[in-house]
Amino acid sequence: MRGLFHKVPLYWGLAIMLFMLLFPFVNDSRSMLILLTQIFIFAIFAMSFDILLGYTGIVSFGHCMFFGIGAYSTAIIFNHLEATLLNFMIGLAIGIILSALVSYIIGSLSLRLKSHFYAMLTLAVSQLFLVLAEKWRGLTHGGDGFTFSVPDVFKDRTSFYYITLISVAVVFILLKLFTESSTGKVLKAISQNEYRAEALGYKSLHYKLIASVTAGVAASFSGALYAVSLRFINTNVFSIEVTLDALLMTMIGGLGTLAGAIAGAGIIEFLRHYLSELAMTYPIFERWTIILGFLYIVVLLVFPSGLAGFIKRINLKNKRKMKKKGELQRVA
Amino acid sequence: MEVFINLLVNGVSTGLLIFLLAAGLTLIFGLMSVLNFAHGGLFVWGAFSGAWIYKETNSFLLAIVGAIVIGMALGWVLERFLIRPVYGNHVRQLLITLGGMLVLSESIKIFWGPNPIRVNLPGWLEGSYQFDGIIIIKYRVFVIVVGLLLYLALWLLLSRTQIGLMIRAGVMDKEMVQALGINVKGLFTFVFLLGAALAALGGALLAPYSGVVFAEMGMQYAILAFIVVIIGGMGSLQGSALASLIVGVAGAFMAYYIPDLSLALNMLLLAIVLLVKPTGLMGEKGSAV
Repeated sequence: MRGLFHKVPLYWGLAIMLFMLLFPFVNDSRSMLILLTQIFIFAIFAMSFDILLGYTGIVSFGHCMFFGIGAYSTAIIFNHLEATLLNFMIGLAIGIILSALVSYIIGSLSLRLKSHFYAMLTLAVSQLFLVLAEKWRGLTHGGDGFTFSVPDVFKDRTSFYYITLISVAVVFILLKLFTESSTGKVLKAISQNEYRAEALGYKSLHYKLIASVTAGVAASFSGALYAVSLRFINTNVFSIEVTLDALLMTMIGGLGTLAGAIAGAGIIEFLRHYLSELAMTYPIFERWTIILGFLYIVVLLVFPSGLAGFIKRINLKNKRKMKKKGELQRVA
Repeated sequence: MEVFINLLVNGVSTGLLIFLLAAGLTLIFGLMSVLNFAHGGLFVWGAFSGAWIYKETNSFLLAIVGAIVIGMALGWVLERFLIRPVYGNHVRQLLITLGGMLVLSESIKIFWGPNPIRVNLPGWLEGSYQFDGIIIIKYRVFVIVVGLLLYLALWLLLSRTQIGLMIRAGVMDKEMVQALGINVKGLFTFVFLLGAALAALGGALLAPYSGVVFAEMGMQYAILAFIVVIIGGMGSLQGSALASLIVGVAGAFMAYYIPDLSLALNMLLLAIVLLVKPTGLMGEKGSAV
């Protein structure tokens, strides 16, 4: 456990966690709870994407497929079986196993390719899943989707809020442990210089596969929670917009910092919420996606290391200033 | 026989439209190894602005010229503000051009609304030719002729002119060309604008062909064009032309006989090529591995 929180100060994380735990007692407005639940779900998804892009340097444009696989597995189980917690576990397990398999197969076939080709290939495969979901009407009801009922624990907004909150915390800790493990260190090495990592004797393909299966499984989990939160599913879960969401959240929050992914999810979802509210009075905001697109480009160009990198830079500057002050005083 | 010829004509004309998109993509990649995801955005802008100008002015020629001009203007903005700051960094190029794609296809909805737009054929291209019971739609023949002429023009540009020589040399070895005192960045801007013009032209030609245009079209055709570029070999014009025809014709036949598998077919082609010969059918420069 040592070193687990050495980047994100432990007390900050605990304070935020405590605040979030108490939040429903302070403010129990339904829409706020729903928004926060949505943020938690996407935070898990964004963290899973960060394992790929931030920690390993793999560019995947098809990450939505794992989200969709998780969502559809749970939804289909609830559509055919009773709405019990056990069945949720079964659906979740199916989704996770399928995602692990798919990410393993895609990865072992194509992770040896250069980043361009891998990005393209994942994009194309995810589109294939979209087409599959649209055509396999017997199972998915096509583009119209279907509604389904969920266990009572999930129906209650407050209890579902706590379930997703704890899920974020657990996934964060697990992924943090993963990135701080020796495997995680190798991944970081690969993202910085793949050839050097290879020269040191690490089979980069092997490690990249581990990263992509981990990311696929985590994404599948968030997809399952997403389906449960809506109690409805359609082919939108496989759309490129879902992948773009993950990209935006990790880029804005800061690559290679799991906490950044959570912050990014919060920023994007809050923005989306308020922009779509603004759209009711000012129709120009109906196209808020374009605002997110511009934001994304600006972040990429101006703050390539995202919010987390920006904060780090300011901290560093302050420290330097302090140091200088200290030196000056000593001289005087 | 009638079905066969019709499918062939459909396939070839679709293939040539994809080629217009893929040609710019392959040259841009070959020269600067920039995989431009926003290329599909230029395509869809070409389609919408072409359709809009045609509706306003009723002149098909003006529509095409207008679409090309708008495509090139957008291409210039893209190259100047998005791609130039991230030269040499593949990961950031991928990420930023995807953002460009998002903004381009979303801004379509600001100008023309979120719903698909119907596009009519110009009068002189309506109707069809008839030979012994075989009906061939006029517009498809027109697309084929334009596509072949453009291929020829591109080929002449690349193989017979000074600038073509520089582009081909740049694709082969960029550093060497730079060392010889040729402004590769300027060359790249030229190629980028050429690619943008071709993409917009492809879009403008596609609009009346499919009869309806929608904002998500850019991504769909961009994926097709990427598949073509990879199958044909990155940086190879001939490879892209050949692969466009293969994808177009195979797609037309699949869509007729096994419609559910038509997209899967392209994916299958892509997977096979990437796994068996990652350099593509005619790619020489650099491997995908």
